[in-house]
Amino acid sequence: MSDSPRPRRPAAQLAREEPVATGSARDPARPAPLREKRPFLLDFFPLETEKDTRLARFYENLRAGRLTTTRCRQDGSILWPPRTACPRCHAEELEWVDLPDHGRLYAFSAVLAGAPLGMEEEVPFSVGLVDLDGVALRLFGRIEGKPWNALHVGEAVRVEPYDVGDGRVFYRFRAQP
Amino acid sequence: MTARGVAIVGGASVKWGVRPSTWSELAQEVGAALFRALPELRSEDVDSLFVGAAEPERFAFQSHVAPLAAEQMGLRPTRILQRTELACASGQSAIRSAYAAIAAGLSDLAVAVGVEKMNLPSMAEANSAMGCVMDRPWDGPHGATAPPFFAMVAQRHMLEHGTTEEQLAAVSEKNHRFANTNPNAQFYEKTFPREKLLRLPVIAPPLRLGDCSSMTDGAAAVVLASEENARRYSATPAWIRGTGQYSDFHNLANAGSLTEWVGLKHAAREAFGRAGIGPKDLDLAEVHDCFTISEIIEYESLGLCPEGAGGAFVADGRADVGGDLVVNPRGGLLGCGHPLGATGIGQALEVFQQFSRTVPAARQAPDPEWALVHNLSGSANVHSVMIYGAGGPR
Repeated sequence: MSDSPRPRRPAAQLAREEPVATGSARDPARPAPLREKRPFLLDFFPLETEKDTRLARFYENLRAGRLTTTRCRQDGSILWPPRTACPRCHAEELEWVDLPDHGRLYAFSAVLAGAPLGMEEEVPFSVGLVDLDGVALRLFGRIEGKPWNALHVGEAVRVEPYDVGDGRVFYRFRAQP
Repeated sequence: MTARGVAIVGGASVKWGVRPSTWSELAQEVGAALFRALPELRSEDVDSLFVGAAEPERFAFQSHVAPLAAEQMGLRPTRILQRTELACASGQSAIRSAYAAIAAGLSDLAVAVGVEKMNLPSMAEANSAMGCVMDRPWDGPHGATAPPFFAMVAQRHMLEHGTTEEQLAAVSEKNHRFANTNPNAQFYEKTFPREKLLRLPVIAPPLRLGDCSSMTDGAAAVVLASEENARRYSATPAWIRGTGQYSDFHNLANAGSLTEWVGLKHAAREAFGRAGIGPKDLDLAEVHDCFTISEIIEYESLGLCPEGAGGAFVADGRADVGGDLVVNPRGGLLGCGHPLGATGIGQALEVFQQFSRTVPAARQAPDPEWALVHNLSGSANVHSVMIYGAGGPR
């Protein structure tokens, strides 16, 4: 891919410097939005605005530094990934709740070869399953902060929203160095 | 139990590997091989075609592959023509669908074919295709593909049960040794002694190259007949006696235990129950060794050995010729390669050939009466099981 590597700045910091487009008139100084820039079907990052998804709020919250998900107002289930309908009682009345920003590594590995398109330059990178503190959720994600061979099961990690580099945000985990 | 018996009565495979052939050419080649293998088979008698193909849109930029496969193979289905997609289990899905159609009386003679073209000029593009099997907008951006997921499974199994790298290598050594008896296998005539396997590069720790199945171009086809028709084509039909399937999650967050495959236990219970047998009755099993750790957990969740004892089961030779049963005599996904849609068909073809005693002695299960085929798909979030009997339709 010809795209530049993704910056590693925390999303909240970036949001102050470079406000993110949400479908309003574009600043010509800013890079063109994704959909005009590269084919969506070769990129794993989702489209995040209200034009694209009913879960745009997830990405807005992430941009503000909060990892959130949906809870069913009818049966109280905390659901991952965020949803628009409860899979248990099928209610469509869901609300956003904050998730803990700390957890512990349940399992991890690393991609030393065979990365998907657009991620080749990030090899080697670590991934893991993280048990969030105080809630029965085990989230998958990138593990930054240490090389894979210095990580251990049970290690504390924190949630880190980050800027993808083209106006979008996502989340990852960071181990303490 | 079904009212009408269904059997696999023959089939064929092309050479699997890195092939200088397109998707369509693989389909043509397997069609020609099928008609050579079954001289009694007439195109006009095949009323239905089920095409197992996982990602032709990604790997071949081609949709609507069912009529394409029919044209390439020289078939004109008059009853049911469809593609079945279930990622790594797309081939078994084609067979299960054909089975259901024949059992229900909607088809009398069907072909189940699997075709996958996976090797592309850009391996990164091929890896992306594999990545979109996962929950794309949630797991995909982290770089989720099969190797790191199954590596975490291996890490947990080692932690919880003391499974070792040597035991993982024992799976790979066995399956590569069997693949050396199978000229259609990707790794035919390539030897992988255990010491060599333990020196291969790490792909996703703790998994090394030899613990992972490959990107493979391949195709295979089998013919399914109703009990009234079966013996017209074969004296040794492989009768479908039971089947089961179970799916309990998709997003990796919802996987639950990584090391106890509850879905496989459910699918196996259903399949064994329909067949009226148990794991001890099996003479051979073709199980989904997409990674070495998968085969080890499959021994356990299928009930071939106690929970946590899968590593010792293979290291002690109990999954080998001369052991409790022969597991993956064809060479497995590790030795044959894993052309997603073709894998389940190739496994069923091995069962048919084992029942008809047409495989080399080095991998022949002695007097086989019962065989099991298992596929998982994605992150082991779907399990599909079939049980075949040599004795008859019921």
